[in-house]
Amino acid sequence: MGTRANPSPWQTGSLQLTYFRAAMSRTQRIALVIAALAVAVLAFVIAQPGDDDDGADQEATAPATQTQAETNTDGATEEAEPPGPPVTRIRMDNGSVVGGAKDIEVTRGDTVRIVVSSNAPDDIHLHGYDIEREVAPGQPASFRFKANAEGAFEIESHVAEDAGRDPLVARLVVQPS
Amino acid sequence: MIQIAHGLVSRADLPIPEWLFGWAAAMVLVVSFVALAVLWPEPRLERERWRPLPGALGRVLASRPIEILCGAIGVLLLGVVVYAGLRGTQSSTANLAPTFIYVAFWLGLVPLSVVFGDVFKAFNPWRAIGRSVGWVASKAARGDLPAPLSYPERLGHWPATAGVFAFAVMELVVSNGDKPENLAVAALVYSALTFIAMALYGVETWIARGEAFSVYFNLFSRISPFETRDRVVGLRQPLSGLAQLKAGAGTVALLAVMIGSVTFDGASEAPIWTGIAPDIASFFGDLGLSPQRALELTFLLGLTAAILLVYGFYRLGVVGARSVGGGFTAERLARAFVHSLGPIALAYVAAHYFTLLLFQGQAMGYLISDPLGDGSDLFGTADSQIDYSLIGSDATWYWQVGFVVAGHVAALTLAHDRALALYDSAKLGVRSQYWMLAVMVGFTSLALWLLSQANA
Repeated sequence: MGTRANPSPWQTGSLQLTYFRAAMSRTQRIALVIAALAVAVLAFVIAQPGDDDDGADQEATAPATQTQAETNTDGATEEAEPPGPPVTRIRMDNGSVVGGAKDIEVTRGDTVRIVVSSNAPDDIHLHGYDIEREVAPGQPASFRFKANAEGAFEIESHVAEDAGRDPLVARLVVQPS
Repeated sequence: MIQIAHGLVSRADLPIPEWLFGWAAAMVLVVSFVALAVLWPEPRLERERWRPLPGALGRVLASRPIEILCGAIGVLLLGVVVYAGLRGTQSSTANLAPTFIYVAFWLGLVPLSVVFGDVFKAFNPWRAIGRSVGWVASKAARGDLPAPLSYPERLGHWPATAGVFAFAVMELVVSNGDKPENLAVAALVYSALTFIAMALYGVETWIARGEAFSVYFNLFSRISPFETRDRVVGLRQPLSGLAQLKAGAGTVALLAVMIGSVTFDGASEAPIWTGIAPDIASFFGDLGLSPQRALELTFLLGLTAAILLVYGFYRLGVVGARSVGGGFTAERLARAFVHSLGPIALAYVAAHYFTLLLFQGQAMGYLISDPLGDGSDLFGTADSQIDYSLIGSDATWYWQVGFVVAGHVAALTLAHDRALALYDSAKLGVRSQYWMLAVMVGFTSLALWLLSQANA
């Protein structure tokens, strides 16, 4: 430990071997560890009540270790299921979304139903899930699938895309269950 | 909503939830305090310790036949990508070139470099061609080739910085930067520039100092325990390769471009940017630019601002560290600690592009069978698909936060080790580290904030 074979180019002059011990007393070190503990406790207190709707997602973690909170939803009581999955309806007027493109929020495992109607022919493409449906006046495009991949997926109009306009119809946001 | 970059992507990560953001930020502070208290009192990473792999393995891996084979694979891949870009379909997702360049090459080589060392050096097509041409030329001239020019010190890492910046502009700014044809042309132009520079300064010199991708991947490979010396693969302490980095002109700028471009890529999806970008673009539009050019100029401005922000923040930390004394110039200190930004740059890339590599990387499965997008099926995998349920959001968040915190710890470790070697006075070294610690906490908090913002 005491000798160094190849002094690095950054070393200037003699190095004090007692560098850090001299620089920081035992008391200071202990104070730092206590400060670290205090931050950890504070974080625990602050993060605890303010967490998201998924309160069970979180468990106390020991400070400075990388314990991962396990997903644990067994505590959550199941709400009564509504009959049949809800349908999200999107109306398009000449290639642009009435009311603007919005997020469709679902949970993984949900059966998703989206119906897009339009007064002009179009191709509606749900990226990622890679489902494409044609739409025409009086013939709405109907999507029905199980949301088994998490993330944010764009639903786009190919007609708008080819015309160089903003193709976004909606965004499917699949949250973890 | 404006989105001109990443035409390849059909899926985006969910932002990390608030509670995890809080936990991660707290963890960063905790490990920082604990690090100060428990880190070692003598430099450990500054010493060069390298020993060859046991047996003949190290010699075989770096042998001439393997080198020639790897180089040939690299040249073949470059050729296929350029050919696909020029002759294949111009759909960016159905052509091999965009996904190969932006995902398999640019992102895929990062984890390979970090784990296995400087693998790109072996596969580098420009190096392989340069060495072959040099070998043939010296045979033809019977060893009478003129000696290459000596590489000017003031150039340092500037050419590599310019190259990485240009790549980021292509990826994040140029509207048609994912169009196969444009990528193929860019690859050809870059190849031509590289060959000219190699002819001037010598193949190995340019590879080591000027060629953007070599320098970029080499920087990450310095985290790896594997290093090749004198045609033998050996082992060193992980991270110690970064301590051996010869920082010169442009090195700080290089790291700033690396961190800043990822920062911009993350921030460009966040409300802070999507809120103001249309206003800036319409301002340029009013000046007479076409909507597309106005948008490109806006994004160039954003990218440059992000890089300058990162650069400025690091220089601020250096000014602080200098204020504690020790008699170093700001330039000297900036270069002395810049290697500790390496793990931070890695953490940014890993956290931001983790799922892009994991998901879009699977596209290579069908693209290698149908590189031109013309319906061929060379290897029988043309019908494979991307499995987007491979990893869930929870797991993604923990990996992302894990990368960021691990990068933070590695950066602290390197900076601490350098301070031990740099300062004569114990007290000065410790005080300088408070400033470097502030810089690291700043960068790490920024990374976490970006993760909590994306697509919000």
